[in-house]
Amino acid sequence: MSKPTSPQASPPRALRWAVAGSVVVMIAAGGLFYYASKMAAAKRQHNRDEVVVNIHDHSCEPNALTVPAGRASFRIVNRSDRAVEWEILDGVLVIEERENIAPGLSQVINANLQPGDYAITCGLLSNPRGTLHVTPTAASDAAAKAKPSMVAFVGPLSEFRVYLASQGSALIKAVTALNQAIASGDLAQAQALYLPARAAYQRLAPAAQRLGELDNGINARADYFEKREQDPGFVGFHRLEYALFQQRNLEGLAPVAQRLLDDVTSLKQQLLAQSLPPEQLVSIVVRNLNTLADVRAASGEEERYSHSDLNGFAANQQTAHKVVDLLRPLLSKSAAELLPKIDRALADFDTTLNGFKVKDGYASYDTVNGEQRKQIADKAQALADALDAIDPALGLSGL
Amino acid sequence: MKKTPLALLLTLGLLNTPLSVFAATAPLDLVGPVSDYKIYVTEQLDELASHTQQFTDAVKKGDLATAQKLYAPTRVYYESIEPIAELFSDLDASIDSRVDDHEKGVKAEDFTGFHRIEYSLFSEKTTQGLDALADGLDKDVKDLQTRVAGLTFPPEKVVGGAAALLEEVAATKISGEEDRYSHTDLYDFQGNIDGAKKIVDLFRPQIEKQDKAFVAKVDKNFATVDKILAKYKTKDGGFETYDKVKDNDRKALVGPVNTLAEDLSTLRGKLGLN
Repeated sequence: MSKPTSPQASPPRALRWAVAGSVVVMIAAGGLFYYASKMAAAKRQHNRDEVVVNIHDHSCEPNALTVPAGRASFRIVNRSDRAVEWEILDGVLVIEERENIAPGLSQVINANLQPGDYAITCGLLSNPRGTLHVTPTAASDAAAKAKPSMVAFVGPLSEFRVYLASQGSALIKAVTALNQAIASGDLAQAQALYLPARAAYQRLAPAAQRLGELDNGINARADYFEKREQDPGFVGFHRLEYALFQQRNLEGLAPVAQRLLDDVTSLKQQLLAQSLPPEQLVSIVVRNLNTLADVRAASGEEERYSHSDLNGFAANQQTAHKVVDLLRPLLSKSAAELLPKIDRALADFDTTLNGFKVKDGYASYDTVNGEQRKQIADKAQALADALDAIDPALGLSGL
Repeated sequence: MKKTPLALLLTLGLLNTPLSVFAATAPLDLVGPVSDYKIYVTEQLDELASHTQQFTDAVKKGDLATAQKLYAPTRVYYESIEPIAELFSDLDASIDSRVDDHEKGVKAEDFTGFHRIEYSLFSEKTTQGLDALADGLDKDVKDLQTRVAGLTFPPEKVVGGAAALLEEVAATKISGEEDRYSHTDLYDFQGNIDGAKKIVDLFRPQIEKQDKAFVAKVDKNFATVDKILAKYKTKDGGFETYDKVKDNDRKALVGPVNTLAEDLSTLRGKLGLN
């Protein structure tokens, strides 16, 4: 009986050796892997910029971080038992974040940080917020003083294009309503709807003035035509204004109103198709305010039949506000010294215009006397001058 | 020939300029797409606000069936613009946080928004006690509209948004954990994909100028994902529940989704926004 067992005993012995051998290899491999990952971890730890943050069940460790300005890497290690997120917040706004960091794993977040104090969302929403203090460096101080790069203007210019799109739509809507009132022969309604349509146009006027011919069709005054009001070439807003407020007669006006609707529709398209160079964002507003200060405020010629000039000035001013708001982050960074003067000039002009507010709009311009008109012109001029300093301060003049 | 110091300086300057500068996208070329993206986000938010209103009306009326039906088609507008929506951390938490984000789970006081309502509608099958949550969701969505209107979109967040959306898909959609009570994950999935595709489409001319082959590869992977998702479309324009998605399809989605996430993460660099 022993004979048959012997050849059978041999394979298990070989197998045992093989198993033992593979166990040794596995341990060795495991050891090597452990060693390699230790080395890798050590290397990561030594990575100059890398800050290791451990997320525990109820808090982060460390919870208060201080790093120098510029590029920083954070290795977030999730030591809690659920998938969590880690975010750098400026107020409520997320600067950088990583969501769904799985339990037991780590992820690296790279951030380019400006000096300042930030908050950290650390795992569960009920966990205490961490703090991140970013200290200025020689490089960040230098960068703060440097002129902004072209990339820095992409945000403001994009936002201005969005503004043109939404105001363009508002203009089309307002002119459509005006058109309908004229078509239905409702003079009082047409007079009332002239004002919001003009305001919508005046918010676009600084940009629209770049499109000479089209803008003439929309906004030219009778003076530009040989036969003035009687000239067949006299169309656009002021032709409607003449009929609505001077002639008080809607006869034959429908084609003029339709032409205006067509023109403002292509105005929106063309404004969006044109690219606006950064140096013109401010200069078109300055030019618009200059015409206000030099001509329109004193003469009241722009809305000579309806005397609704103040309605238009206030709309021009809204666009000036918009442009300053869009450039404010760049100005605070590179030309902060200009801001108090600009803000004061904006507020002064606001105050002046607000002084003429009546129940549902502005005072009729024929009740505004010469002294008051001069004050309007002066405030508009002061604002234009304050804004004129922006382009050179942002390194945009002479481009 | 003797060179003037100025000419020498210019030559040295040119030699020192990295080649990539010559091929880079002019920053001002990004103004069109970035602003068009804001217009897109604004439109999506308008849809989100009006759909949320209808959804919360159904919840408050106690119309469980309608509320359940409107849940997924409402959320999809949030999912498509998530890169911008989640910039506002407080609103993202109150509108879209999942139960995992809250220590005390479903009963946590601060667990609000879509997923809290989803839990009641699909897990508890009730609209009871949801009035305040419904009103809160409405208010938060309107607040989001206002804040987005006032936000100058950071170009690098817009361009980076394409990859962020695909990472979102990879992390939470394929696993089916986003809509764990309703299993309507495929709506969100499609919303994320559409939002990412929109970004690629808007910047297509600029990306193509840099790398035509890249665009072709990205398009191909989007098409693969869309084709798999389309298998689960229902007649009413919606999607089957996620538990119906076959294992081989889940697996087939992983490859293209991860490749897209990886590829799209290079967009910022390609457009000179790193």
